Amino acid sequence: MRCGGDVAELAGVRAFVRRSAAALGADGAATEDIVQAVDEWVTNVALHGYRGAGGPVEVELARDEAGIVVRIRDHAPVFDPAAAPPFDPSMPLERRRPGGMGIHLVREITDRFTHRPLPGGGNEVTMHLATDSTGGGA
Amino acid sequence: MNTTVDLSTPGVPVVALDGELDASNYRALIALGQQLYADGARRLVLDMSALSYMASSGIVALHSLALVFGGHEPPDPEAGWQAIHEVSTDVAQGGPVDHLRLVSPGPAVARTLERTGLTGMLPVFESREAALAG
Repeated sequence: MRCGGDVAELAGVRAFVRRSAAALGADGAATEDIVQAVDEWVTNVALHGYRGAGGPVEVELARDEAGIVVRIRDHAPVFDPAAAPPFDPSMPLERRRPGGMGIHLVREITDRFTHRPLPGGGNEVTMHLATDSTGGGA
Repeated sequence: MNTTVDLSTPGVPVVALDGELDASNYRALIALGQQLYADGARRLVLDMSALSYMASSGIVALHSLALVFGGHEPPDPEAGWQAIHEVSTDVAQGGPVDHLRLVSPGPAVARTLERTGLTGMLPVFESREAALAG
């Protein structure tokens, strides 16, 4: 699906991902994980890539032999999530700085999370999530 | 997300969240908490039993509400991305937060609390009554 990179569209993005992941054979818990990983990344693109001004975002789900593969493309300035500072979940609440948790959650949820700058500008991230029900080479 | 405020217990509002808490609505929840604090509340009960989804923005909201009801200014959610600096506060370091109480988060919301390390930092109760009683 395509959307305009605005946080107001996140509910629609989640609904699309929920339908698509279920149709690709992910079970309930895996589907909710995929929904969250996509939501967190699209939120990052909207708030930090496009800085609230909006811009095209494309979300695509497929399956391979191991599970679900998600690709998300944008036209925002190049940002490699590997460059984001690590998040320490053991830090006391009082000493935390806000933000920084979205990428942490994507890393927690996915089995593989890669980024490449697109030739014409923008970013593509790929998320791999193994799912029991889509495995087995069916 | 629908938000319902129950003011029947003096000084301890119960805010019930119904739906999905994400980057589009978490600031409204922080603003609601600030208003309730300004109106004199010093403890907040958040009923999460009907919350079906919580993004990391929701964690920022919980963090901010914990600070607000601890008598502090909430951090600017944008500032955290611009510069790494600790939220300066004289709250007892690492001490348990008692002025923000969560009620019955469902499995998906509980997983987000777990993955961000909030489980054990914010007290969780099985019912509104239990959260109000302690």
